Amino acid sequence: MREERGHWYLLTGFVIGIVLGLVYAWLISPQQYQDTSPASLLPEFKAQYRAMIAAAFVATGNLPRAEARLALLGDGNVERALTEQAQRTLGEGNYPLEAQALGLLAVALGQGDASALPTLVPSATPTESQSSSASQSANTEPTSTEITLEVTTPDVSTTPAPLPTEQTPQVTRTILSTATPLPTRTPTVTPGSPFVLESNTFVCDTNLPNPLIQVIAEDSSGEPLPGQEIITTWEGGEDYYFTGLKPELGLGYADFLMTPGVVYQVRMAGGGQTVPDITPAECETQGGRRYWGSWLLVFSRP
Amino acid sequence: MRRWIWFLIVVLLGVGVGLLYGWLVNPVKYVDTTPAKLRSDYQADYILMVAEAYRAEGDLDLAARRLAVLGDSPPAEIVRQAMILAAQIPYADSDQELLSQLASALQTWSPSAGGAQP
Repeated sequence: MREERGHWYLLTGFVIGIVLGLVYAWLISPQQYQDTSPASLLPEFKAQYRAMIAAAFVATGNLPRAEARLALLGDGNVERALTEQAQRTLGEGNYPLEAQALGLLAVALGQGDASALPTLVPSATPTESQSSSASQSANTEPTSTEITLEVTTPDVSTTPAPLPTEQTPQVTRTILSTATPLPTRTPTVTPGSPFVLESNTFVCDTNLPNPLIQVIAEDSSGEPLPGQEIITTWEGGEDYYFTGLKPELGLGYADFLMTPGVVYQVRMAGGGQTVPDITPAECETQGGRRYWGSWLLVFSRP
Repeated sequence: MRRWIWFLIVVLLGVGVGLLYGWLVNPVKYVDTTPAKLRSDYQADYILMVAEAYRAEGDLDLAARRLAVLGDSPPAEIVRQAMILAAQIPYADSDQELLSQLASALQTWSPSAGGAQP
């Protein structure tokens, strides 16, 4: 008796072959593991690559090149990635310069130029030169430029512009009430300091759950100054942080979380004016609920 | 017997289609790789960044640590390979000069006991 089995066996064999082929191609011998792109790096190496881009940017002031390099990492939001990494690095406390570089690059990207660099200024007329970066070979990087770096010093001969009578911080938080806090403070002026304390306000804001030292650094015309180092000291401790790492709160903004019961001194780096006796103080709502207030310090560079 | 021959033929055909799809159409996409696996031009650009930062910072230990993520080769050799690629692409003269300066500095460099940040 003849058995009629049709041609289904051909289809079965074909499917088996495909499965075998895929197993070999995907599992046994996948495509070579070389020649990957920066976007495929492990997150920790991506962070290192990003930090390297920032360090190179701070060294050269070449923003277009930094942008092209950052594009290789495939971050959805480049500025946010930089800012978050800067904050993480700052929080870890090991590499403040790396955090500053990341913050400066984030700020520069936000501003669209390299003016965020506080001490490195590219010469006015870059020289057009040939393609330099490897990434340019894939048409991802603009023509490189030669940039001469100069160290700038504050021009003390210029007459300071008049300061605004009322400081308007860029912080979006609303000062709900200003109160006289328990500690009384008398700022000490250090002669020749590049930054001067313009205002010092105790802020009661129920939206701020933690006691903060909020610092705003500005130039003489009230423009925010990113990348400015702030030094906060207390008995047995010291911390450094920089303005501009929270660009959503202002390019000249920085904050520091205080511990209740600890007395802090705050100053801008470079021998600036020291603000002593900053300590968490309590505020009270109309309902009698008590919460921590914050200090808002505005420094201006004449 | 003939049925087995046809069966083997279609199996082999299926294997071919599977390989084509798995290697060319939809190959494995690698994520979480290391800098040592980067394409050579990306590696060269990373090395150029190290050279740019080195010129400003002058910290050879730091530069060597930054280069160490690219593999076990001596830092000077890593930069030398980048210089070869930079000459082929070619990089701008100023960038090649930066690489050359870093390579020269690394020729006499030996790991120091002092730590440097990565």
